[in-house]
Amino acid sequence: MREASTRLADSLLARGVTRRDFLKYCGSVAVAVGLAETAAPQIAAALESASALKPVVWLEAGSCSGCTESVAQADSPDIATIVLDILSINYSETLMAGAGYSAEAAKEETIKAGGYILIYEGAVMTGWGGDALVIAGKKGTDELKEAAENAEAIVAVGSCAVDGGFVSQRPNPAGATGVQAYLNSVGIDKTVINLPTCPVNPEWVVAIVVEYLLLGKAPEMVERKHSNGTVLSYPKAIFGQSVHDNCPRRGHFENGEFVSQFGSKEEALGYCLYKMGCKGPQTFTNCPIVRWNRRASWCVESGAPCIGCGSMDWVDNNSPFLSRMSDMWMGDALGNVQPGTAAAVVGGVAAAALVVHGLGMNAAGRVGDGPPMETAKAYDRKRGAKKGGDK
Amino acid sequence: MARSIIDPVSRIEGHLKVEMEVADGVVKDAWVSGTLFRGMELILKGRAPEDAFWVSQRICGVCPVSHGHASTMATEAAVGAKVPQVGRIVRNLVEGSQFLHSHILWFYNLAALDWVNPVNGLKADIADTYSLAQAAGTGVADFGNVAKRLAAFVERGQLSIFSGNWFDSPAYKLPPELDLIATAHYLEALEMQAVASTISGIIGGKMPHIMTSVPGGTTWVPTEQNLDDVLFRFVQLRDWIKGTMIPDTLAIAPYYLDALGHGGGVGNFLAWGVFNDESSDPAKRYLPAGIAKGLSLSEVDQSKIIEYVDHSFYEPTSGGLNPTEGKTQPVAPKYDVNDKYTWSKAPRYEDLPMEVGGLSRLIVAYLRGVPRVKELIDSTLAALGAPGKPEVLISTLGRTAGRNLEALYVAELMVDQVGELIERIKGGDSTSFEPYEIKDGLGVGMWEAPRGALLHATDIKDGKIDNYQCIVPSTWNISPRDGKGVRGPMEQALIGVPIEDVEKPLSALRTVHSFDPCVACAVHVVEPKTGKHCEVLHSPNGRGVM
Repeated sequence: MREASTRLADSLLARGVTRRDFLKYCGSVAVAVGLAETAAPQIAAALESASALKPVVWLEAGSCSGCTESVAQADSPDIATIVLDILSINYSETLMAGAGYSAEAAKEETIKAGGYILIYEGAVMTGWGGDALVIAGKKGTDELKEAAENAEAIVAVGSCAVDGGFVSQRPNPAGATGVQAYLNSVGIDKTVINLPTCPVNPEWVVAIVVEYLLLGKAPEMVERKHSNGTVLSYPKAIFGQSVHDNCPRRGHFENGEFVSQFGSKEEALGYCLYKMGCKGPQTFTNCPIVRWNRRASWCVESGAPCIGCGSMDWVDNNSPFLSRMSDMWMGDALGNVQPGTAAAVVGGVAAAALVVHGLGMNAAGRVGDGPPMETAKAYDRKRGAKKGGDK
Repeated sequence: MARSIIDPVSRIEGHLKVEMEVADGVVKDAWVSGTLFRGMELILKGRAPEDAFWVSQRICGVCPVSHGHASTMATEAAVGAKVPQVGRIVRNLVEGSQFLHSHILWFYNLAALDWVNPVNGLKADIADTYSLAQAAGTGVADFGNVAKRLAAFVERGQLSIFSGNWFDSPAYKLPPELDLIATAHYLEALEMQAVASTISGIIGGKMPHIMTSVPGGTTWVPTEQNLDDVLFRFVQLRDWIKGTMIPDTLAIAPYYLDALGHGGGVGNFLAWGVFNDESSDPAKRYLPAGIAKGLSLSEVDQSKIIEYVDHSFYEPTSGGLNPTEGKTQPVAPKYDVNDKYTWSKAPRYEDLPMEVGGLSRLIVAYLRGVPRVKELIDSTLAALGAPGKPEVLISTLGRTAGRNLEALYVAELMVDQVGELIERIKGGDSTSFEPYEIKDGLGVGMWEAPRGALLHATDIKDGKIDNYQCIVPSTWNISPRDGKGVRGPMEQALIGVPIEDVEKPLSALRTVHSFDPCVACAVHVVEPKTGKHCEVLHSPNGRGVM
């Protein structure tokens, strides 16, 4: 039996995971990194042929542990498979059995040996010269420097690791910043693979790590410049399109069908949340496709507007979260245009795509003048301090 | 006297250091220190009041729902918003799913590795393992395959998350068969905690950091389909907790009965209460609010909370101050156990250190006579050979086991709550959100996170947050000494704990983990302006001591 001859398939079979299930995992990984699902067998073969597990050092800095928690929800493959059969996570403060000096020793050995993937969670805490975070008597910043210097690849998981996230927002009390910005500042010339959102979506972490194991290099990236001047690289397949581009409620946006109060009839009908402050148009992630928590749901489906947790400086740029963005911009291709125009421009394309996807919407009605944004703006002006919509 | 230091304490959320003074094989004195500062409360200042619901969840990725709820309740109290019944139940459901996630993950995947030795499980006889599982009435897994997988894993020599373990310590006492059973369930628990989180994801849009429990109710619209998705998962969790988690607890406990004799701590318990009933009265919550000094019950009075900073990195105040009066002025963070040694403040209630968490909630519910809680505790006490003696729960083992009883109680409650929601919707009540106006005022939200009492306070001025304060569970539990030199609950609980090996202090680690410390959230505010001068200073947690 071919599958019995390989390490991974063997250990999976021992747990009752069949080759079919395993291929399903690999298919899911393929989709998350933007490959066709037919790439699953190649992914499976690459994982199975590895003679040793890729070591991983998972550092938590100015974090809430939410990204570790999030990755613990992965099911394609699940967390047990990840930590036992695919990777050797030699250091993770939250998950590891060891504590104290034993834990530190495991980390130091791995770093010394090199050839590992560094996964960094949480903001880099530069406050008080790095003393805002101290682990085992060592500054968090020094820990990052050492681990980054010897790492084969560096992945920043979650918005805090990408650009400091909420921790870095005004007044940035602890001097928080992102991994790339910090490495640039200390002269370590390495490109960080940035996976934003708060927390990180586990499917992306699994997909990027598996793709790295498969190809031995970082995926195709898209670069964006942060307000602090740092150029950040994001995997294009995941962060190339806006939430708005792929939103299942997009048809309602085109039709001018909006929710103006939580818990309303319009919400029950799944209308567009733009008027409730949705930041989908300026947030670049594939959340509507990959979804969250084993694809159970995602923010907009739960009736809440996207708060843009995957964008740069996400709290400062997007709060107040329930206020409509009056000068929204609609993506790379369209430049800075108002939604009314944008709806007219993209309407035809979106309509065609929706028909293809069989969503059963009345496409014809969506092309034209777009939603009545002037009415919406007049509504905003009258709204004043009223929050959460009105009746 | 020998010093034993655990730094970092792993398998917790955040960063924690514990220093102990050891003599004659037991802990004589202890100092607990939080080692990370982020400044959440300062980041909220000046923002829209309802934004705190989303931002404050980022205090903790393990219990974001609780922070979100305490925050949203504080905002509602400040502006006078009301939550409709459907909104109340939906919040209970998403809170409950997070409790179940947290309890399962904490017991099996974080705390259990102090009690269970997976490597010893390799010596198990498979047939005996099945017999033992049957005798214990716990879940049966494919133990042979788990052993095979474990063996392959150990042989490979790449220990992944089991690197740097203390599995060679004689403080592990389970027979190999029980170690194997618990290891199999460790793997099952990884799946069950995700099932629980999936419920939070369905109701909250995503988990961690949910989207839906906005001030005024919830944005989530219950439907036949999504309620079914929620219900079958709660039923699955309830049955697993009842059929695996509780029997495992009762099977493991007899090997560690010595841990009923230490780790008690301060013996005062505080709960703000969680899971509102129709009245939304904290004293009538399904896990009610209350204060228990020893086993004597009294009602909560928020004005009796004071915070000391004598041993924390803040300017001294004249005695303890109520959090609404307190000013937070940081000083040079120089770790010195004889002076200041932590970012955590020392909150006290009626000038007493108070333990918070699952044990506190259970004791308060027990004293209030909540029938199902009484039943669960009384039957467990009988099983542990201490019928009618709830005081034995006040220990390292009791605190650990008690939380598992609470998991069962919450799982059962959630199944009932879905039923109540369905009945309400059937009866024509589908209002899940009530609009409100933002106005100025002070609001306090008192609730429970899985690891204990949680308070958020928001002060709204000119339609914006003027001041935001939190007292999070671990601030109570890992608090340092107060102005009178009285130790915090975890420090006190460590006194008298046996130290098998100064370099591998497992019993002490069990005691620390029994509180499920959540330290990123135990770290308080520092003013950035006054903090600048700290740049040249030494580490807040004492590099010199290491």
